[in-house]
Formats: sequence, structure tokens, C-alpha cells
Amino acid sequence: MKKVLALLMTLALFVSIGGTAAYADGVRLFNGKIEIDKPLQHAAQVYEEATGKHVEVESLGGGVDLQATLKQYYQAGNMPDIFVGEGAEDFNNWSGMMVDMSDQPWAADTDAGFVDEATGELVGFPYTTEAIGLAYNKSILEKAGVDPASITGPESMRAAFETIDAQKDELGITAVIGYCANASELYWSTAQHLFGQYLDAGLARDDTTYFDMMMDEGKLDTERFTHFAEMIGLFNEFSDPALLVSGNYDMQVSGFASGKYAFVTQGSWIGSSLTNDYKAQYEEAGNFECGYVPYAFEEGIDTILTNPPSHWAVYKDGNAEEALEFLNWLAGPEGQEIMVLEAGCVSPFKSCEIVGNDPFAGPIAEYTAAGKTSSWHWLGQPGNMAQDGTGVIFQDYAMGVIDTQGFVEDMEATIPQFCGK
Amino acid sequence: MNENTASKKALSLVLLVAGVVLMALALWMDFSKNYIVVNIGFKVALRGLFLVLGALMILAGLYLTPSVMHHRTIINIIFLFPLLFTFAVTVIVPMCVGIFYSFTDWNGVTYTKMVGFENYAAMFKEAPFIWSLLLTVLFVVVNMILVNVVAFLLALLCTTKLKGIGFFRAAYFLPNLIGGIVLGYVWQFIFSNVLTQLLSSPYSWLAKTNTAFIAIIIVYVWQYAGYIMLIYINGLATVPKDVLEAAQIDGASEIKTLFQIKIPMIAATFTICTFLTLTSAFKQFDVNLALTNGVGTVRGFMGQRLSNGTQMIALNIYNTAFARDMYGFAQAKAILFFIILACVSLVQVRISNKREVEM
Repeated sequence: MKKVLALLMTLALFVSIGGTAAYADGVRLFNGKIEIDKPLQHAAQVYEEATGKHVEVESLGGGVDLQATLKQYYQAGNMPDIFVGEGAEDFNNWSGMMVDMSDQPWAADTDAGFVDEATGELVGFPYTTEAIGLAYNKSILEKAGVDPASITGPESMRAAFETIDAQKDELGITAVIGYCANASELYWSTAQHLFGQYLDAGLARDDTTYFDMMMDEGKLDTERFTHFAEMIGLFNEFSDPALLVSGNYDMQVSGFASGKYAFVTQGSWIGSSLTNDYKAQYEEAGNFECGYVPYAFEEGIDTILTNPPSHWAVYKDGNAEEALEFLNWLAGPEGQEIMVLEAGCVSPFKSCEIVGNDPFAGPIAEYTAAGKTSSWHWLGQPGNMAQDGTGVIFQDYAMGVIDTQGFVEDMEATIPQFCGK
Repeated sequence: MNENTASKKALSLVLLVAGVVLMALALWMDFSKNYIVVNIGFKVALRGLFLVLGALMILAGLYLTPSVMHHRTIINIIFLFPLLFTFAVTVIVPMCVGIFYSFTDWNGVTYTKMVGFENYAAMFKEAPFIWSLLLTVLFVVVNMILVNVVAFLLALLCTTKLKGIGFFRAAYFLPNLIGGIVLGYVWQFIFSNVLTQLLSSPYSWLAKTNTAFIAIIIVYVWQYAGYIMLIYINGLATVPKDVLEAAQIDGASEIKTLFQIKIPMIAATFTICTFLTLTSAFKQFDVNLALTNGVGTVRGFMGQRLSNGTQMIALNIYNTAFARDMYGFAQAKAILFFIILACVSLVQVRISNKREVEM
């Protein structure tokens, strides 16, 4: 009896030791951009060699709901030391749990950090910059004799589109612009990135006039929005009909990579797709240069929208000290070299002079140097507004179910369901 | 003998006390976040170790309790314990926690206040939710009929003496083996790229609410009919050969045999299939997500313009929690959803019990 009992207890001991979580030292980074997983692992390795401190990179992405995963980690007492979040919508949930980083050396070196409005603390570390502008294929525009600098407003945009459209066959392109309004697949492109142009295009980085108007009162500026709607109407007119409603992201970007469209309504993240995922098509199309024109739906709009797409926050109850040290190192020259050259990020730090070989890195640097950038306030719009509300209106407009007037009216009727409560 | 009992009693007491102390310590560590970590080659926190050891000691102590009267009860409890524990951890506790959260403003991280029945009241004022609920009911009714009719016809086809019947059975069943998400994307391609070419229509069926709804039904029937077909085939196989032979000798036509003999004899199968389709259609999520993601314009519903025209209730709950960060509100919706499904299941059990008695 006693023997059996002793055996049982020994067994139990082993089982429970096996079941006990082994505690690891170091910093755990929860990265939401799976594309830069390898370069980040490399950066962590270089960091460990230099300082002897371990950083574990955990990357998720590609359709995984990051915030839901993070909340599960939190419930399980398994919070990472550094975690990702997109704008106020995400960070508001963690308010008060993040370290204020305004005293960090890198804080003075960038304007792109994320500030928690409730507490006024700098809680988000910017690890990259992305841009949203009307991307163009330089070689097609040159052949068509269109100077991108001439696009400064609605009339000149239409004129450029018409010039290119008239030479479609000679240029060998399918359509002038690759614009897709498929509401189930690309609501984030239309109802967030393009809609963001209405909120920010042409404004100073801290100008929140239209954003506040929408969030506080649930209202749109009808005149400005109608101009915006007319530009979307222009895209509907000149986009590839096969792509417009029934297409998807893959069709849109591969179409641009293979030179089928002169313009595409996607931001700078497609740069790495051109040089990696669609390498073959891109090479065949002659590795053309790319650039940005502003979404000039009103005369004089001359900015593109740049922002870190998401930020990294440091969890207060975690290994905060070492986490801050790592971020500091990453913001420094060695870290930035890996981030820019290997991860293809555009550095948000002023002191960094390295420019990557991404097709869009040059144009972004030019706009940034000229001070012609606006912010991404759309990040703060209600989380499901694009998906459950406004996305489908872009689709209806593309299908011709509603006209410009109807588009404006539907938007004005739908936005109060999400904002201004 | 006496000595033995005494030593047993002592051992049992020691084990019980030590077990309780260890578990209490583990709980204290958990709440105070003061995990004691020891280094035995690798670092190990003692919390889990204490908890498991404590639990095992209590069980051993109970087992050794020198009581003739209660010995059997104690043994029963110990043997039932693993099952009860698992059931509690996976079903009872989450259920209770869920009900609790439905009365709060939980956002997935923290909650600031109890809101009483506010969540429950709010959902009935939310037009998109009501729309999702009604749409789901419509979807369930249409599917229950369509899936059963199609599946039964397929089953009849697959019980004839055709050549290569095994192949057809497998082929009809195959869609059920493909996951809903994959299937959704496959059909999205068919609707967006193939069907638009065939019908030479500029826009896919998925772009308009009414046609998108039909599209979801088509995909769902395609996915589920094969599965239900198998159950019907099974049912048809249980119809006794002699009865069929007798009918044949009496000169009953095929149609008559079907309606007068086969269908009444597999009535129980119909009940099972009806409820299977009913509950699974209610819980429709993956195809909905992959195919349309719930979008679609609806005008003038409860005086509003809605954008979630094809959103079933499960997807609505999911979006409420994960896109809107309203976990408490979503939890309240989920409770309502649970009540509806529980009612359906209860009715099902009632009906099948009745039928069994009759037979």
C-alpha cells in the first residue's frame, strides 16, 4: 500500500514539474507584422551578441486578430513585455498599463510616437513608417507623356486619367487605375485608407478638424466630402471592371506589379510585395520606378498620409527595464540599419539617414523632407465602422447602385450609427 | 489492527492538512503575484507544483480516511473527480463567468462597472442585431427544407443499383470534409470570377444583399447535403427487405413504396436530420465569414440604412466582441443565442422521445 502510494506521489511530482511553466529571462516582443519576422529575429540575435540579453520575438499576422490574441495572453497572465497596437482604438483598452516613454532618448528624435490621449503619455514606439498616396508607375506615365507633378487637383487628375486612357492599347495597360471596392475583401482599403484622405489630406499633421467633427457629432463636411466622392467616382470610371467589385487585394497588387495599371490605390506596403511576392511579374514589367501623387480631390491638396501603421508599447508589469533598453538600441544606428535595409521599414527617426531599396522608400523620403505629409487619424475611427458600415457604400457606389449624391447621403446616414454617441 | 487504523488516521490527517496548506499557498501566490521561483537546472515557478501536489495529497488523504461508513462514497467521489473536474473547468465555470460578464461593460481586458440588464436591453434596440437575428431564422428555415430535400433525393439516388455508386456517395460527401473557410474562399472565386464570366454580368452575386444571401444558401446546401445524405442512406438501409418485397408482390409502384413504406419507416431519421440541420444552420459562421464577411446594403430597416445585410447572428456576435471591443455586450448576445439553441434542442429531445415511445 505504502509502496503504491510512494510511487504515486513520485509520479505526481514528475507530472507537476513537467506541467509547471519554465520561466525564461529576457524580453518577449509581440510583433504584429509577420512580414518582418526574420529581420526582427536577426536584430534580436545581434542585440544578444552585443549585450548578452535575450529578446524573444513572437510574430503573428496574416489575418490573425492580434488584439484578441493579446487579450487572451492577458487573461492567462502571459503578457508579452512589448506588444503591438493600432492607434487609439487598440491602445485605449490598455490605458494605464503601459510605460510612459517620453523620457527615452529616441523620443526627441521622432514625431511619430503614439501618445495616449487620456494620460498624455508617450506609450507607442514607432518601428516603421507607411505612406498612403496615389501610387503610380513612373515608366507608364512617362510613355504617356503625363507629368505626375501636374496632378494638383480634380481637373488635372481627370485630364491625366483621360490622356492615359486614350493610349491604353499603345501602352499595353488594362486600365488607368487599379481600384477595388470589394466590400468583403478590401473594406480596409476603401473605408479606412481612402476615407482617411477625406479626414486628413492636405492638412497639418495635428489638424483634427474633420476627424473631430466625425467623432464628436457624427457629421461630415458635405462640401469636402462631395469633392472626395467625385474623386472616388473618377476611380470607378477608370478602374478595371473585372477588379472593381469582384476583385481582391492579390489581383490589384499583382496587376500593378505586372504593369497593367498606371495607378493603384494602395499604400507603401505593396513595395515589399513587388520585390518579393510578385518579383517575376515586376521584373517582366521592367522593374519600373514608383512614386506618389497626392489624392488631390480639391485643388491644392499636396500631402500624402504617412504614419506608423502600428506602435509597440511596453507593458508596465513585465520586464519593462530591459524592454526599454532593447527599444533604445533598435532606435539607434545598429538597430535602424537592420530595420531599414533588411526589414524594408522606412525609419521614423530623424537622425536616421539610411534609405532602403524599397520602390517607395525614395518617394516617402522626398515627401517627408519637404514636410508634405499628413497624419493617419482614421486609425482612431470606430473599429468596425469600415467593415460593418461604410465599406459596402463604396461597393454600392462602384456598382452604380448609388450615384455621387447617394454616396454622400448614405455615408452621412451611416456614420452617426458608429460615431458621435 | 487498532494501531494500523491509528497510523492510517494520522497519515490521512497529515496528507489532508498538507494538501490544504499547499493549495492555499498556491492560491496566495496567484493572487499576490508573488511566484516563488526555484532553480533546478532550469527555473521553475512553485505555484503550479504546489497546486497539483496539494490536490493529489487531499485526494490521497481522503482515500486513506479510516471510515467504513463513508468509504464507498469517498471512493465514488474520487473516481468521479476527474470527469467532474474536467466538466466544471470546460463547461460550468466558463458558462458562469460568461453570464457574469454579460452584466458588465467588459472590453476584453478590464471592466469598470456592472451594467445590470443594460446589455440585454440594448441588443433589442440595435437594428443590425435584429436584422441578423431575423436573417438567421430565415436562413435556418430555408436551409432546413432545402438541405433535407436535396439530401433525401441524393440518398435515394445513392441507394439505387447504379454503377459506381460508391464513387457518387464519396463525391457528394466530400464537400463536408473541406473546412468552411476554405470552402468559402473557393466559392468566392466561383461567384466572383467564374460565374461573372458565364453570366457575363459585371458584378458578382456576392455584391448585392439578396443574391449574396442566395449564394450563402447554395454553398451551405452544397456543403451539408452530403453529410445528411449519409444519415438518410443509413436510415433507408434499415427498412426491412421483406416489407419491400411484400409491397412489390402486392403491385405497389415505386412512388407508392416510397411514400407509403419507406418514408414512414424512417420517420425517426427525418427527425434527427431536421434538428441536425436546424442547429448547425443556426450556428453558421465560417462560410458566412469567408464568403461575404457579412456585408450587404439594406435600406429602411427599422428606419435605418444597414450595411450588414448578410451577417448571421454568430458573425454578429463575433464582430461585436472582436471588432468593437464590446465583449460584455457580445457575451449578452451569446447568452440569448444559447437560450435559443437550448430551446431548440429541448424541443428536439422531447419530440424524439415521444416518437421512440410510440414505436
